[in-house]
Amino acid sequence: MSGLFPGFLILSAAMFGIGAAGVLVRRNPIVVFMCIELMLNSANLALVTYARYTHTMAGQVFALIVIAVAASEVVVGLALITGVYRSGRRLDLDELSEMSE
Amino acid sequence: MSVIFGLAAVIAFLGALGVVLSQRTIYSAMSLVLNMVALAVLFLLLDAQFIAAVQIIVYAGAVMVLFVFIIALLSPGAEERLRSVELRLLLGGVGAVAFTLLIGRLTLNGITVGAHGRLHGALGPFSPAAVNAHGQVQTLGDQLFTTYLLPFEVTSLMLLVAAVGAVYLSRRRRQLA
Repeated sequence: MSGLFPGFLILSAAMFGIGAAGVLVRRNPIVVFMCIELMLNSANLALVTYARYTHTMAGQVFALIVIAVAASEVVVGLALITGVYRSGRRLDLDELSEMSE
Repeated sequence: MSVIFGLAAVIAFLGALGVVLSQRTIYSAMSLVLNMVALAVLFLLLDAQFIAAVQIIVYAGAVMVLFVFIIALLSPGAEERLRSVELRLLLGGVGAVAFTLLIGRLTLNGITVGAHGRLHGALGPFSPAAVNAHGQVQTLGDQLFTTYLLPFEVTSLMLLVAAVGAVYLSRRRRQLA
């Protein structure tokens, strides 16, 4: 049973790496938010994996809290994106280098 | 067991790749849904039934509906034709592989995990047998409302702040125009 433990962690690391690369590479803010979700999900997977294999409950509790953090982050982030869109600018992170005006 | 793990892990990995590599935003969103459903299967394999249910309901349900709604509203479409796409993707790919190797090496070094994938140190009281005897959701709820009450309350405060902030950000600015 504990043979799968490295597999879960390697998958989690791979998902985090892909998400981090996506945040750096992509320029559409919506896709960047999805990549952040990907990284939070990979952290969740690592938390639950450690909780299962160390026989503790803290990992699952904090996975729940991470899910709540991700939900509120999406709400605020998408409100920001709609605000930027309504101000008439293109949704391109290279051009949106400043928040003001 | 390991067959299901392999299938779900491959699907989750392909979904993660699809999020980053898709040209159209809606394909990225669908890849993320695929990734999240596969992750829910992995949570079930890890005896975390409640987390798996919450993953489906909150992530694949609420959060992704919000994403798809915003994509439909703003319709970014296929505007994204990356300039110098090869260089960016090459750098991103190299970064992702290096990052994965780094994290994998750090988590699987001899400190937390010894030979044969066994964890060092004493195990906690929540073995799968004990948790299932008491009930998985019951155990999680007990812990959430006793040992981890403060993080739980802070989370509720954070949700309130996020809701108020979203309403503030998306209001009409008549007085500024």
